[in-house]
Amino acid sequence: MLSKKVIFTFSPQNVERPVTYQLIKDYDLWVNILQAKFEPSLGGKLVLELKGEDEQIKEGLNFVRQMGVRIELLEQEVIWDEKKCIDCGVCVSICPTGVLSLDKETFKLKFDYEKCIVCGNCVEACPLQAIKVTF
Amino acid sequence: MTIKRTYEEINAKIKSGKAVILTAEEIIPLVEEKGIEKATEEIDVVTTGTFGPMCSSGAIINFGHSDPPIRMQKVWLNNVEAYAGLAAVDVYLGATQLSEYQGMKYGGAHVIEDLISGKRIKLKAISQGTDCYPRREIETYITKKSINQAILFNPRNGYQNYNVAVNTSERKIYTYMGILLPKIGNANYCTSGQLSPLLNDPQFRTIGIGTRIFLGGTQGYIAWEGTQFYPQMPKDEEGKVIYKGGTLAVIGDLKEMSTDYIRAATFKGYGVTLVVGIGIPIPILNSEIMKSVSVKDEDIWTEIIDYSFPHLKKPFLGTINYMQLREGNITIRGKNVPTSPLSSYAKAREIAQRLKEEILRGKFLLQEPIQKFPQESKFKPLLEIH
Repeated sequence: MLSKKVIFTFSPQNVERPVTYQLIKDYDLWVNILQAKFEPSLGGKLVLELKGEDEQIKEGLNFVRQMGVRIELLEQEVIWDEKKCIDCGVCVSICPTGVLSLDKETFKLKFDYEKCIVCGNCVEACPLQAIKVTF
Repeated sequence: MTIKRTYEEINAKIKSGKAVILTAEEIIPLVEEKGIEKATEEIDVVTTGTFGPMCSSGAIINFGHSDPPIRMQKVWLNNVEAYAGLAAVDVYLGATQLSEYQGMKYGGAHVIEDLISGKRIKLKAISQGTDCYPRREIETYITKKSINQAILFNPRNGYQNYNVAVNTSERKIYTYMGILLPKIGNANYCTSGQLSPLLNDPQFRTIGIGTRIFLGGTQGYIAWEGTQFYPQMPKDEEGKVIYKGGTLAVIGDLKEMSTDYIRAATFKGYGVTLVVGIGIPIPILNSEIMKSVSVKDEDIWTEIIDYSFPHLKKPFLGTINYMQLREGNITIRGKNVPTSPLSSYAKAREIAQRLKEEILRGKFLLQEPIQKFPQESKFKPLLEIH
């Protein structure tokens, strides 16, 4: 079983294709929608977490690619620049999944990448611009 | 026997390397263990610290004269306008002034940070020209080494206490207290609580005009009470003291400061501000002062205020203490709400620690205030008169 985070970028030509449905039905993938933004006349962006057998993920992604959808793999989705960070913690309460927390002893910021769903809340909340999203 | 100390005695101990110093955090367990009287006997100085966004900040800069000279009437530093209505080559650069090209991405605070870090800053100035100052424009580059003075002078810093900000509306709002999620989705607060300078000397017994402080990584001074200074401490119905608005005007040599303790920040949708590091040593002159510095987060209360209300007097949603806030979750109107500080407790602790070490090394002596702050002050609104 593999887990991959991907970004699909749709054009106005393929924006109406039911991609997630087909990935689930035809490729037996576990699909979790992390972020979705669509504008039928302009296209759209979908951030997904896919889980399944290696071969099925590969085939599923090939199928999506053939539709003309641009695929990017999210290797490191959010970059936290520890040198810029002042450990204020203003990002903590705005994070919906508890990625960010202040250590109870040191009061320094902790970043649990595993839980991140790339919502971008912390990026806009950080007054020091110490957090960036890679796309 | 009640212990009493003078500034002279404390400074003599510092010089001879015999002073005993703790931070405002370290003093808490000591007082709990030994009591006020014994702690007063043992400890000479307690250090405090804070590191948070302080908008009312800026720098006085003197560029030196060019040849031919110019009486600068409008001045820009990296395209951020500085106020030039002073003598020929003096300006005041405000921290919140925005870049004319980059908007909220860059402002006066960023120029200040860049100056401190030694970067080259583009200077542009224009003038109408006079007989004594014939030049009408100049464009050049400056650094902190090339200019005569760069003095950080912040009219209102070190707020004693501040509101907890929440948003009861249906939409996300962008404020100087950070992004506030709809329907009380989060609660933001902004003091270093038990480490905060003005919460450790709430009656201003030792903090006044002329007090030597740690400012931005170097030694600075308190120049005056801060603007909007409001020293009164009202009590709520249960008798809890709600500390309000003691503030400080501070001054220090920007050239000697460090970007570890002065940083530019942008609050999305609000603007640019300066994050300022301040530490104040509190001399333990008597047991009353020891009692003040032993204050704990759980004894410091503040008010929860609804920032979605667009008027001066905003709805009050209750009181809360800093221990509850620092735990990360509080209850407002029956709802569990995550909290965030805007002020860095880790850095506040680092500043109090650093100040303690500097005093221990004999590099920082305590200065008795030349004059005390007023006991009372009015917080006046601006009336519109037609």
